[in-house]
Amino acid sequence: MTGPLRAECALTFRTLGRLPGFWVPTVLFPAMLYAFFGAQGAEEWAANAMASFAVYAVLGVGFFQFGVSVAQDRESPFAKWQQTLPCHAGNQWIAGVLASLVFVTVAVALVVALAFALDRVEVGAAALLRLSLVCLIASFTATFMGIALGSLASARAAVPLANLIFLPLAYLGGLWVPPMALPSAVNVVSQWTPTRAMGELGWAAIAGTRWDPGYLAVLAGWTVISVAVVVVAQARHRRYE
Amino acid sequence: MPQARFNDPVRARGLAKLFGTVRAVSSIDLELAPGEALGLLGPNGAGKSTTLSMLTGLRAPDAGEVLIFGHRAGSPQARALTGATPQLVGFPDQLSPREILGYAAARYRVRARTDKLAACFGLERLIDRRVAGFSGGEMRRLALALAFVGGPRLVFLDEPTTGLDGAAQEGFQEVARDFVAKGGSLVLTSHHWDEIEAVCDSITLVDRGETVLEGRIGDIRKRANVSRLTFSLPPATVPPGWMHAVHDGARWHSESADSDGMLRRMVHEALPFQGLAVAPLDLKDLIDRIRREETGP
Repeated sequence: MTGPLRAECALTFRTLGRLPGFWVPTVLFPAMLYAFFGAQGAEEWAANAMASFAVYAVLGVGFFQFGVSVAQDRESPFAKWQQTLPCHAGNQWIAGVLASLVFVTVAVALVVALAFALDRVEVGAAALLRLSLVCLIASFTATFMGIALGSLASARAAVPLANLIFLPLAYLGGLWVPPMALPSAVNVVSQWTPTRAMGELGWAAIAGTRWDPGYLAVLAGWTVISVAVVVVAQARHRRYE
Repeated sequence: MPQARFNDPVRARGLAKLFGTVRAVSSIDLELAPGEALGLLGPNGAGKSTTLSMLTGLRAPDAGEVLIFGHRAGSPQARALTGATPQLVGFPDQLSPREILGYAAARYRVRARTDKLAACFGLERLIDRRVAGFSGGEMRRLALALAFVGGPRLVFLDEPTTGLDGAAQEGFQEVARDFVAKGGSLVLTSHHWDEIEAVCDSITLVDRGETVLEGRIGDIRKRANVSRLTFSLPPATVPPGWMHAVHDGARWHSESADSDGMLRRMVHEALPFQGLAVAPLDLKDLIDRIRREETGP
């Protein structure tokens, strides 16, 4: 790792790590909510609930780390000053992605550890490995959705807006209550949400069944839409700068 | 002004920038040689900040060009050779000056001379404290240290001493003069005229987005070698009309390009003046006078 990249990582980890307002909701809440809601459900859904809250954690980091920081950086004089420093700005993105991987890993590990500690699940190493892969794929989409959100929202609006999208999406996707328990009208909408797609892939990972290409396509679709939003919004910001 | 060379620290020609339909900057020229300090002056909203943002490459000009040591402003080569003060808002509160200085130094790929910078800018006792509780003056000192941390050959300082106490202002002026004496170049915006005179060799005055006056301070002084005579008169006595003197409520003031001649005539006419003081015109008054003469009454 080069000096500038290491410095960028140190800056990102220190800033986020010393900000309880960031890591409490993103890293601790998924495990806590799993203990409150996920672990209370039916025995046969227990392992799936673990996967649901793991995916929920991934989405949270994407929304709250990237969504909020992209919105804040656009308005922050310090971020502007960083642009006057030498070295490629790409390092800042790499540091952001590395930080999000670490936060996602910790958040997901807490959910899984809690599920095992509560003696709710019996899944093998292969299933956990598949779940990790799903989390990695999901974090790709979640990151781009977060950046899209940050590109649209002002710094002040970013946190409430992230909550406003994140929480309903988690419900609609069947991450909080199992999809069978969703009202049928909601279930129709649910099929098109990125959270449902992430959940379905997670549940398939636990069951060891084939990934439904339909849900992969839904995820890919949301990623493409998010990237398009980012490109358009950033071009607009540049024009008005 | 010496002939600008291609690889001079700053070479800007005909800069213009529009925001929507608002013309923030319409015609700015700037030139700066190595070992020179330039004061960028102008009223609020004159286009100073917009100009600085184009010099640092944060904004692309709509017309004209900026070269920094012969490189496009904002290019990696230009950024490696320049330092700038960040604005005071939006610092990552959770970090200490040592951490932020270390970060910036790493981006310049140099070792942070934290102790030396801390001593220069009075940050010793603050160096490991988190920025969150800093006063405006403490933040300003950190901002100044950040401009110099990368060992730049050109620094842009935006209102460097606003909010600093007298000792810190003098400390800064010493650092700035030392930097320039060692061949560094400096662009400074300030509302303190005495600070500009203490640090800068030349000034560029902008107003409504245009360069309205530029030159070396020494040349400007020579060009308008005007002094101000200040004196008291007994009550009910008024100076003769030829002096064009004005009364400020306490003392009389008169400006003249030939202060010796004026004084001789005052003595010749036996004007009963008391407490006479003769001093070169302040830079600010001097420039006001030049602009009045140029644009007419």
